[in-house]
This record gives sequence, C-alpha cells and structure tokens, in this order.
Amino acid sequence: MCFDSRNWNEESYRDSILKARELQTRTVFRAIWAPSSNPNPDTIVVASSDGLISSYSVSSCISKHASGFISSRNHNMLTIKPDSVLRGHDGSVYDVKFYGDGEDTLLLSCGDDGRIRGWKWKDITLSDAPNYSIGNHVQPVIDLVNPQHKGPWGALSPIPENNALAIDVKQGSIYAAAGDSCAYCWDVETGKAKMIFSGHRDYLHCIVLRSSANQIITGSEDGTARIWDCRSARCVHVIAPEKDLKYEKFSSCISCIALDASENWLVCGCGSSLSLWNLPASECISKIPTSAPALDVIFYDNQILEVGAAPVLSRFDMKGNVLSQIHCAPQLSFSISLHHSGVCSSYPSSFCLWNLILFSFSFSSCKFIRISVAICS
Amino acid sequence: MKAVEIDDEIEEGMVVDEEPNSLPNYRLAERRATGKSPYEMLRASKISVEDIVAKILAIKRQDLPGTHLRELATQVFLHFITLRQVNRSILLEEDHVKMETERAKAPVDFTTLQLHNLMYEKSHYLKAIKACKDFKSKYPDIELVSKEDFFRDAPEDIKGSVSSDDTHSLTLKRLHFELSQRKELSKLHEQLEQRKRSLLHTLANRNEFLSSLPSQLKSLKKASLPIQNQLGVLHSKKLKQHLLAGLLPPPLYVVFSQLMAQKEAFDENIDLEIVGSVKDAQSFLRQQANKESGISSNQESFMLEDDVLDEEDDRQRRRKRPKKVPAKENLEYAGFYQVHPLKVMLNIYDDEVSDPKAFKLVALRFEYMLKLNVVCVEMEGSDEGPRYNILCNLFPDDTGIALPYESSKILVGENLKFDEKRSSRPYKWAQHLAGIDFLPEVSTQLKNQGNSGDERSKSIIAASNVSLYRQQNRVETILQRIRCRKKAQLALAEQLNTLEKLKWPSLNHMGVPWALHCPSCNLQSWSLLEFSSNQSLSFPVVETKHVQELIEAGPHNKSSNNTNEQLESAKEDGELPSLALVASVANDVKVTLRGSSCGNSKQLVLMSKSISPIAKVKSFAFKKHDEDLDILLDPESDIDEPTQIEPEKESTNASLGLKLAGDSWIECGAREYCLVLTRKLHTNERKVKLEAKIQISMEYPVRPPLFSLNIAASSGESRSGKFQWYNESRAMEAEVNLHMLKMVPSEQENYTLAHQVHCLAMLFDHYLDRAYPSSGRGESTSIVDVGLCKPIIGSLLTRSLRGRDHRNIISWKHAYSKQT
Repeated sequence: MCFDSRNWNEESYRDSILKARELQTRTVFRAIWAPSSNPNPDTIVVASSDGLISSYSVSSCISKHASGFISSRNHNMLTIKPDSVLRGHDGSVYDVKFYGDGEDTLLLSCGDDGRIRGWKWKDITLSDAPNYSIGNHVQPVIDLVNPQHKGPWGALSPIPENNALAIDVKQGSIYAAAGDSCAYCWDVETGKAKMIFSGHRDYLHCIVLRSSANQIITGSEDGTARIWDCRSARCVHVIAPEKDLKYEKFSSCISCIALDASENWLVCGCGSSLSLWNLPASECISKIPTSAPALDVIFYDNQILEVGAAPVLSRFDMKGNVLSQIHCAPQLSFSISLHHSGVCSSYPSSFCLWNLILFSFSFSSCKFIRISVAICS
Repeated sequence: MKAVEIDDEIEEGMVVDEEPNSLPNYRLAERRATGKSPYEMLRASKISVEDIVAKILAIKRQDLPGTHLRELATQVFLHFITLRQVNRSILLEEDHVKMETERAKAPVDFTTLQLHNLMYEKSHYLKAIKACKDFKSKYPDIELVSKEDFFRDAPEDIKGSVSSDDTHSLTLKRLHFELSQRKELSKLHEQLEQRKRSLLHTLANRNEFLSSLPSQLKSLKKASLPIQNQLGVLHSKKLKQHLLAGLLPPPLYVVFSQLMAQKEAFDENIDLEIVGSVKDAQSFLRQQANKESGISSNQESFMLEDDVLDEEDDRQRRRKRPKKVPAKENLEYAGFYQVHPLKVMLNIYDDEVSDPKAFKLVALRFEYMLKLNVVCVEMEGSDEGPRYNILCNLFPDDTGIALPYESSKILVGENLKFDEKRSSRPYKWAQHLAGIDFLPEVSTQLKNQGNSGDERSKSIIAASNVSLYRQQNRVETILQRIRCRKKAQLALAEQLNTLEKLKWPSLNHMGVPWALHCPSCNLQSWSLLEFSSNQSLSFPVVETKHVQELIEAGPHNKSSNNTNEQLESAKEDGELPSLALVASVANDVKVTLRGSSCGNSKQLVLMSKSISPIAKVKSFAFKKHDEDLDILLDPESDIDEPTQIEPEKESTNASLGLKLAGDSWIECGAREYCLVLTRKLHTNERKVKLEAKIQISMEYPVRPPLFSLNIAASSGESRSGKFQWYNESRAMEAEVNLHMLKMVPSEQENYTLAHQVHCLAMLFDHYLDRAYPSSGRGESTSIVDVGLCKPIIGSLLTRSLRGRDHRNIISWKHAYSKQT
C-alpha cells in the first residue's frame, strides 16, 4: 500500500503501525509438529500470545529464508506468512496439542481465557481461508470453559487459565493444567469435566499423561509435582524436588515435565535445575544444574533436551553430563519439539541415521525462526 | 450466305436482262440440250480426233487398204468443225462473262465511293467534336458562385429564364452575375478601406492619450500609497504578489496558486508571500527564453518589468539596501543545487483558535531547484539544526534525504543523497504539492511561443491533472498534517521538558487507570541517548566486516570509564571508525560523546553501557545469521561443541532493538531517550531500577513512542529472577507499546508519551507490589482470586501470577480488551 499526500488515509496507516507493533510484541508459547502420514512432517503449529494459532510450512520458510538471505543481508523475516491462522483465544494461547490421528485429528488449544478449543485439523488444512487474517473461518468443534469459583458474597473468580494440555485418546479425555491450582479431566464426547484433581497450592504449569499406569503428573507453581491416579482423582505421590532447599519464590516452580518412552523416567524442570526421577523407585536419581530456568524439556532416546531462559539448547545424558549446547537466537524459549527425520530423503544421506531436527521457538517467532540441525552420534 | 443469294439474284436478274438479245442463250440452250459443257465437248472431240488419227496412223503403218481413210478424214474434219464451234462458243461465253462482270462492277464502285464519303464525313465530325472539347476559355479559373447560390441570389434580369440544362447560357449568366457581384464587392472594399483609414486616425489620437495616461496613474498610485497603508488595504502588495506569481517557475506557481485558492475558498488560516529578487527572476526568464528559442521574451513581461522595477526602485530608495547579496547567492548555488530566485513563503497559523491573528505554528519556505526539477522545503527559523526537522516523515517513507525522482537521481549521478548541510529538503509531499508529478517539462513562460496544437493538448492534460489534484485534497491534507505535526511536536517538547526536570508529565484526561494512580517510584533520570542519524539511511546495507570493526570499537569504548582522560582517548578512538564507515552505529559512539559534555560521568557510564549492547546485539545478530546459514547449508560443520553462554543480560531487548532495513526511514529524525525509574524496597533497602529506552520517531503520535524495557538486577538476585524480569519487562513492553494505546482517547494523542510514562510507572509499581508484597503498598488495587481462597489453604491468598510466562495479572487489562 502506498501512503502519501495523494491519497492519504490516516486510519489505515495507524492500523498498519499497530499491526506491526503487535507482531513485535508477540510471544510464542508452543510450537509443535503437525501429524502427517509422512514420517518427516513439514508443518509447524505455533501458539502465540496474541491469541492466534498459525501453521507454517518449514520447507517454504527455509526456501524463503535462504533465498532472502542471499539476496540481502537484512532480510525481513516478517514477510514469512503463515499458511493458515486461527483466532484461538482471547489473550495468549499457551498450549496446542493434536488429538487422535488420521482423518479425525483434532487440533486442541488452551489459553489465557480458560478455554479449551478443538478444531478439525482437516478443515484447517483444507480451507483456503479467504479471510485468514481474521482467523474465524473454521468453527471449533470443541469449546470447553473452566468453571469459575464462587467466593464469599457470591463473588466470582476470574476464569482460571489453562496452561498445558495432556491427551488420552484411549479414554477420550483431555487433561488440562489450570490456573486455579486444579487439573481438569474433560470428556471429549460429552464436553463435561469428568474429574477434578485438586491439591496443589498454586497454579499448574504443566501436565503429562502416564498412560501405562493410568496416571497424570502435574507440575505446579508451588514447587511440587504430583502424580495422580486417574480413576480415583487422588494424589498418589508428591514430588518435591526443592523441598529441602528454600529458594526464592519464583525459582521453585515446576515449569516443565517430561516422561521418557518407557514411562519409567521423569524429568522435571525446577528453577535452574532439572531433576531426574525413577518412577518405579520414586527416587531422585540425579539433579542437573542448568544455566537458566528450564522452560521445556523433552526426552530423546536416552538423552534429555532442554530449553529455557538462556539462548541455548542443552543436551544431557541420563547422568546429568552436558553433551552439547547449541546456540539459538531467542533469549528465552518456551517450547521444544522433536522431529525425527531419519529416513527423510530430502536431506543428504550422509546423516540420515541419527538426525533430529530441533525446533525451538520463542519471542517474536517471525523474527527468530531458527531451525537447528543437531547431529547426535 | 446472303451475299451469295444476292449474287444469284444479280445473275438471275442479268439472265433475265439478257434474254431477248442473245445468241449465247441459244448456245446455252443448245448446250443444255446436249448436256455437255463446251469444254467437255472439246475434250471429247479432241480425244476422238486423236483416236481417229491414231487409227489412220495405224492403217498407214500397217499399210492396210485405205478404204476407210476417206471416211476417217471426214470424221476428223467433222470433229474439227465441232472443235471450232466449241471454241467459238467458249470465246463468246467468255465475252459474255466479261460484260456481266463489267456491269456488276459499276454498282460496287458506287457503293464504295459512298462509303468513303461517309467515312470522311465521320472523321470530320470527330475532329470538330474534339476541337470543341479541347476548347480552352481565356479565363479558365474564374471562381464562380455555385449553381445553387446563383439560382438563389441572382436578380431576375441576369437570371432570365434559364434552365439548368442549358449549361452554356447558364455559365454565361453566371459569369455575368459574378462580374456584377465582384464589382459591388470592390466598391465595398474601397469603402471599408476608407473607413479603416479614418479609424486608424482616431486610434492614433486615442493612443496618444493613453500613452500619457500611465504616468498620470503612477503619480496617482504613489499619492495613494500612504492612504493605503493607513487604511490597511494591502491592495498593491497583493497585486505585486500576483505579478510575481507570473514569474514563478511552474511548480512553485502550482504551490502558490493552490495554497492561495485553499486560503481564499476555505478560509484557511495561512499566509502566502513570494520573496526574492524580481530582477533576478526576470533575467533568469530572459536567459531561459533566449536559450530556448533565441527570441527575447515577450512584451508582456517587459511591461511587467517596468512596473515592478519601478516599485523595486521605490523600495531601494527607501531602504538603501545593497543589491549584491542575491547575486552572491546565485554563485554559491551554482551546479545542481541552482535555485530559482523566487521563493514562496508559507506561514501556517493555528486553525483552532478563532482569533484572526492566531498563533503562528510554522513558516515554510518553498524553493525550486532548476537542474534537479525538485521543490525543496525549509522551515524558517528552526534553530535546532538540520537534524531536528519536523517536516521529515510527514508521510511515511519521506525523509527528504533521497531525491524523489529517478530522473533527478540520474542527473546527480552516483552521489545519491541530497546535500546534508542544506536545510531545505526535497520531500515527496512537496513534490506532490507542487504537482511535479504531472506538470509538463516546459515552463509556462515559453508556452506562448510553442506551436499551439501541442500546447493545447498538454494544457488539457494538465487541467485534468489539476482536477485530480484537487480531488485528492492534497493541499488540505498537507496543511492538516503539518499542523498536526507541529502541535504534536510542541506537546512533545512540553512533555520532554517536564521529564527533563524529572517531574511526572501532567495528564488532562482522567478516564484511564494510570491517571489516577499515584506513582510510588521515582523518576530518577531522563536523558537523550541518540539523535538518530540521517546518514544511516544512505547505507542501509552494513557489511559484516564493518560491524566486526565496530565490535572492537564497542568494548573499547565501554572499558574507557570514569576519568576524563580516558574519555578523551575514547573520543579519538570512537571517531576513527566513523570516518571509515558511516554506518548508523558509528553514530552511537558520537552520541556518547555528546553526552559527555553534560558532565555527569556516572550518567555517561550508564549510557555507554546501554549503547554498546545495541551495537553488540546488532553484530551478534548478524553473526548469528551467518552461523545459521552455515548450519542450513552444511549440517556437518562442527557446531556441536558446547558453546559458552554470554553473560550479557542487558541485551535482552534484542528483538526490539533490531531494526529492519526496509524500515530504516522510520529512524530518520527519531530520538532515543533513556528513562530510569527506581523504587526502594522496604524489605531489604534494595533499589530496583527500571530502565526504559524510548524511541520517539518523527511521526509521533501516529507512530507512538517505542519503549524497550530493562529491569536492572540489583545485587543478590538469582538467575531465575532475571528470567522473571525478562518476561515481566516483555509483558510491560507489550502493554505500553500496544495495548494501552487503545485506551488513550484520540484527542489526547499528542500526550501519548505522558500517558505511556504514567502507565509504565503504574505497571512498574504494580509489578513490584506483586514481586515483593512486603513492600507494603498497593494492596488495595490488587484483585482477589477467589478460586484460591479455599479453606484448605486457610489464608486469603491473592493470586499475582498467571500463565506459562509468569505474567502479572493486570486487573484492568481484561476490562478493555473486551471493549476493543
């Protein structure tokens, strides 16, 4: 659009400035790979603080990025347009997850407005989205709202936010870590809250499902992680990694939890350290100090990958030794997700066996989309 | 066939004719009776004679008795007789045929003769016709009135009774008519000539009178001047301005006329004046005219010159001003920057005040660069120097540094940027105001001499363009924008002044939460960091090599601390690279030095600290970029080594600090300030410091100031605390830079900065109240999350944090996010 004195439109110019500002002040909370029949998924779904859920195609990003880089050093990364955009929530979107697979895959999101919403992934990918800037072109098939609590004199609490989601496809349930220090189990079919797990003393940050034992594990701001039994909604075990050491208030929250494939090992990020637990033995095996508070952690084979409030991605072994640290541009990353591309033909064959593509996202995703390829040997 | 028949008839006729007197007929009859033609009979006789002779011979040879000889001889004689007879009849017949032929020949000869006669006659006629046709009249090219006119106009005595078929007489009559008419006309001509002569005579008389008139009028005018001045009627001044307008180059003329039209039609509160030397303008005009056509400029301008010269003389007499200055100026501005001697001055007054002598907002001077074909604008009386230029970015991407048109760029050649030292700038809006985008290249004064058809079409195009120009409301838009800009800048200056005195800027509007909030933190410092350089624009692509040089310069500068001596050395070192590379970052170094003149060494340290991270982050980002590309292209490179984490927590604002090259025009004229808010914590006597770098662009308030926040860690904080602050400052940034702006009413937008500062202070207080609840304040504004006040816990807990990023709950945020 051309703005000059010949056809001056001040309103639209103001809007364009504010739009640009909005992009500048955006935070990406979660980036995950979309499921696909291809073992080497190409689409990333990104949840950001402006309430939008957008999907990007990696290959097009890379090609644009690379060519743009060659043509000019100051390539404007804002030009990468998402494939599709959904207006997910009022306020931030904190987590997105895919439910099920195949034709009926649902894209679930939760956010600051205390809602869990689900869309048919097929609808999103298929729609050509003429009004994609608004993002309302696909109607959600699931819309769940956290209950409000009634206080003294009938005062209603603000709707607590949902900070994380866990999916149990077999039972047809969604577990949500909510801001009122409870975890909720929602039934996908009926849309009702089946169970409420209450007991934490502060709001929940993260939640994972341990399906082999029909348990969920939640991590909270109060510095404890709890293991809950899904049948009785009772707390089975309280893990308090920092019980003995009295740290300052915000260093002690459990910000992330991950289970390994065998579901025997649990790692939780707690302040500036990761603690590794053996679940059958319920004992802390090792404590790994990290350079900054961990914000997301993930198991990869027998290694632990961690991102946090430092511009690095760290790789540890199970004993807590640092295997490598990879620099990434953002100061702070909220999300890490795995991308197995072992059999990807588009990459050179020389590194096809142990490849993983790590995707880390943080503030201002559009400026700082970085794809790091790490070779683990 | 017919001829044959005719022949037969003739023969028959002749046969009939000859019948009474002829022997031959008898012969013929005889012949017919015998049935043989004479020739046959001749041949038969001859054959029989030969037979008989042969017989005789045979008899003789054989000596047979000649008994038959006699008989044979008789027969021979008989045959001879027959032969003779036949011969005679043949001859007779021949005669007869000859006679017949003779007789038949006579009529043939007669008819042939007749034919020849006719042929001759015919050719004679043909010749006569041709001669007639070829006849040329003596006056072949007499133009006659057309037939229709003749029949209509000719008097009866000439027309007579003529039919249109009789061309000859018609022509004759027309000729007569023509003659009579021409005679009349020549008579008329003579009459008119006579009249003309008489008129010329009277005209000469009158001219004489008129030529004596100007001097009378002039004396009258001179006599009226004091009265005019006394009565306040600036008629003559206006007149002079209009005369001068005629001398303006077309773009300036458009500026003048359109602004004047706007003023007169819509009562715009503006003043217009043409300044400059008239003589120069005229000599320039003549020069150009000479150059173009070799003919000196038209008479009108000479007359005009006389008139104006007179006034000029008057003025000179009054002022006794030496006339050397403009000439000198002309010399100085030679080359590309040659300026037309006439300029248009525009005074813009505040339009909201009803008082006719309203507050004068700005005075602009428009000038026209001849070679470059651009109109430049200058602010009169702006003493802040060329950098502080409120006209820049009046419209997006219009810094006035680059030349607006490609053609002029080509003219200047490689040297793409406009002379920095000149305070007048070729803004794009000025070109639009002057209509350079549609004006023809030819100047108005030369139009009269050009061929008319071409000019007419050009002027038609120009006229349609002018109507488009009016439809686009260019004049109104630009005046509006200049007024808004100036007012905003005045308001901004007022706010900056208050802030410089370390006072909270006042707010008039109370309808927003921060207006009611009484800040409990202190405004510790307010300082100008950077006056964004214009030079950076001309080098948008900074090469990495330069940046690396800069990194070396950066820490060096940082290390040079407190003592003045070291500062001096830093100055030298700092300016060295700025000579080599004129990148934007080099300017940071300079700015630091400017800050040094303020004297406060402590402040300086703070600033140099806060600047160098920017430079570093920039370079860091470039390096980063490189690395990542490497990773993409060559995944096997050894990036797998454990990398060191730089303990550089100040550079947290990388995402905001990084500027995109495409938007580099935004930085033109932008200023960056550093605001420091502090608050003492009651618990442990520590101070928490919030450092905000505020970038205020020229487009304020349309582009609101951009805050980048940094909460300085006080001693003894753990890493996680820093993480917390990082998040928190990001959240505050989002509030201050974006969300709160939606709450500021539009009539308050000139005070956006004050609102933002207040809002920031409120957020900072709010944040500290949450983070250190024992600091003993602000409980009243917090909200109680009833979800957490269950009897299990037993105490009334206020919930302060929310979300994955530990964001503080801002109670009013949701209230207005639903509004918008």
